[in-house]
Amino acid sequence: MKIGLRAWILIIVLFLALLAIAPWKTFEEGVLIKSVEANSSAFESGLRQGQIISSIDGQKVSSFEDFSTIISQKNYSGENIKTTVLTNQGEFILFSGKTPEITVSEIPNSNIKTGLDLSGGSRALVKAQDRELSSSEMNDLKYIIANRLDVYGISNVQISSISDLSGKNFLSVEIPGATPGDLKDLISSQGKFEAKIGDEIVFIGGERDVESVSQGGQDAVVSCPPNQGGSGGYFCQFRFGIYLSPEAAQRHADITKNLDVNLTNPDYLSETLDLYLDDKLVSSLLIGVSLKGRAETQISIEGPGTGSTLDEAGKSAQQEMKKLQTILKTGSLPYKLEIVKLDTISPSLGESFTKNIILLGLIVFIIISVILFVKYRKIKITLAVIMTMFSEAFITLGVAALISWNLDAPSIAGIIAGLGTGVNDQIVIIDESVSNKGISLRERIKRALFIIFGAFFTIVAAMLPLFWAGAGMLRGFAITTIIGVTAGVLITRPAFAELIRKMGE
Amino acid sequence: MEENKNEKPTEEKRKRFGFNYNKHYKILFFIPILVLLLSLVYLGIFYSKNGDIIYKDVSLSGGTSITINGEIDQGLLEAPLKEKFPDVSFTSLTDITTGKQVGLQIKSSAASAELKIAIENILGYGLKEGENSSTESQGASLSKDFYNQLIIALVISFVLMSVVIFVMFRTFIPSAAVIFAVFADIVMPLALINILGIKLSAAGIAAFLMLVGYSVDTDILLTSRALKTKDEPLNARIFKAFKTGSFMTLTALAAVLPAFFIVTGLPDSFRQIFLILSFGLFADLVNTWMTNAGIIKWYCDKKGIQ
Repeated sequence: MKIGLRAWILIIVLFLALLAIAPWKTFEEGVLIKSVEANSSAFESGLRQGQIISSIDGQKVSSFEDFSTIISQKNYSGENIKTTVLTNQGEFILFSGKTPEITVSEIPNSNIKTGLDLSGGSRALVKAQDRELSSSEMNDLKYIIANRLDVYGISNVQISSISDLSGKNFLSVEIPGATPGDLKDLISSQGKFEAKIGDEIVFIGGERDVESVSQGGQDAVVSCPPNQGGSGGYFCQFRFGIYLSPEAAQRHADITKNLDVNLTNPDYLSETLDLYLDDKLVSSLLIGVSLKGRAETQISIEGPGTGSTLDEAGKSAQQEMKKLQTILKTGSLPYKLEIVKLDTISPSLGESFTKNIILLGLIVFIIISVILFVKYRKIKITLAVIMTMFSEAFITLGVAALISWNLDAPSIAGIIAGLGTGVNDQIVIIDESVSNKGISLRERIKRALFIIFGAFFTIVAAMLPLFWAGAGMLRGFAITTIIGVTAGVLITRPAFAELIRKMGE
Repeated sequence: MEENKNEKPTEEKRKRFGFNYNKHYKILFFIPILVLLLSLVYLGIFYSKNGDIIYKDVSLSGGTSITINGEIDQGLLEAPLKEKFPDVSFTSLTDITTGKQVGLQIKSSAASAELKIAIENILGYGLKEGENSSTESQGASLSKDFYNQLIIALVISFVLMSVVIFVMFRTFIPSAAVIFAVFADIVMPLALINILGIKLSAAGIAAFLMLVGYSVDTDILLTSRALKTKDEPLNARIFKAFKTGSFMTLTALAAVLPAFFIVTGLPDSFRQIFLILSFGLFADLVNTWMTNAGIIKWYCDKKGIQ
């Protein structure tokens, strides 16, 4: 049988879908660099996001475990040592005393990305409290939150603004994989940081007053006093240094100039430096007498962390420190935000779901094939229908990979449900072509296509409103359905009709 | 093709069908109308009692859904949680291939922190989101917005579908018949899920939108076969459309029904979508081949279309 034009189009589109999905990625070995810290030695050596590491110091890296074992064996302890990293973009040599400042992950099996409900991760839907933001305000906010998460050390964040049917604007923040414990605070706390003496502000968080923040080494430490415990729980303390701008330092001088010496504790001044975060007092620092009237640019920030065990208290202090460092560096959000929806999905649950969904897809394929064979008793027709069904699902996945759409559970439900309509249309074609012998086959197939296009337009029309309703949370369902039926009417159905016509002739 | 072999019995069947159908189609038509009316009355009573036409789950009313990983004894949690959160509900999740429990999902309208602490106190260990558990929480006002918008979306979807149908057929009664059948396809499953006491989620309402598009193809098939072709007697055309269309619905059901057998291993949204679609497809069998076909038959008789 000669392959017709329409079948050729189908074959070409299938081939393109295959290229888009790139299933051969399964066989690639190594780990993918997900992020590289800016201005780090890793960055300076040439390592970049997206490179694939295949070996370190000549030792093969084929999985995430390999990577972490090799790195932990290297024993970075401050003294510069050499690390040779071989990637798909060449060899890079690092001289550093610190662990390479990169995050890596396993290479994905293909370009198909699954949504948070299947791969795990967090999603927050955020809106401004008591007001609607314009789209330019939304963009500012997007930038600030992205910056804040980046400074905190979370990479790979997807932030997008969404508006819904009633014109409300939301910001959707998606973080795949592991979830930071204080995500909620990070995103929604306004982060208005004020350091006050009495009622006078000395400096606030953000670039204007704070020139730099120490984030590691000797200048940022957590210490827990020994021999504590009992009913009050445990207590630890963090301390890190910051550098103020000359203007902020001058303000410090002007305000402290007029302070007296503390009578009961003569090493310090009479007032404290009070640190407020979102109008809540974080800690009060005593000001040494020597600092009186001095334009001091280097300031030490301290604060507590508590917990029911020593370990917990230490972690809490560590976390508080990280949060304050982030806020001091990035400044406050221009608006008060509230998280209206927060989902955190564990990856292992999603894994089990994915497995079951794949199984379900297979069962659906098998049942439909059996039903078709029982009805038509022709292996050729059954095979043609199954091939078409498979092609539609495959093209849908290809387009999803191409537009980087994250396939969540509703998206996959859309693909499977789409298989149902796809088969329906083919049944119409078959039944129209074998019946009504009085009219030409061409005419009969034309009639079938009238029904098919009618069904196509109704389903597209019916699914369209989902693009906006409910902040687009169910957009995936509409997207895959529409891609599926469109691929159906434009590509697979014409090819199928052509095939049936050839079988008939 | 092998059609010839079966020509005789089919011919006879058609004649018999034609006779019976001419006589009884009005009765066939009134059965689904009665079911539809009962459904509407039921929904009316339901609305006056509950202030809404459905039971809403946390994705539409606001609240928290916590899924704890691993084999969790539901009996242990049920009584103490019910005492504190009267509306709490449980779903056990299983891995289909091994049959083992992989998690327990707990839903309540309570805030996430409260529910979490209550569960932790019973279990005796901490829940870490994203590690040993998953949490989804949503504010009440957002949920209300979502719900309203999804209902508006459903209405828009229905209107757009109606427009497409009118453009396709350009005659009032046949188009109205299709639209009426789709309306019944929505109302009947809606009444059924309320009777079964199922709480509808956002994905469930999205499934109703899909149902609008999903159930309409058999109606289009019927109407176009009845009105746009004249090569066979009307009854034969309707009967042939029925043969094709019911098989179409059957295969569509084959795509959505298997989900029921692995229902405990699927995400919430998945379960709801397939549940609504299968209810809708069953309703569609009745509404297309009894209601819509009845109207078309009556219309053609009136207009003298043979």
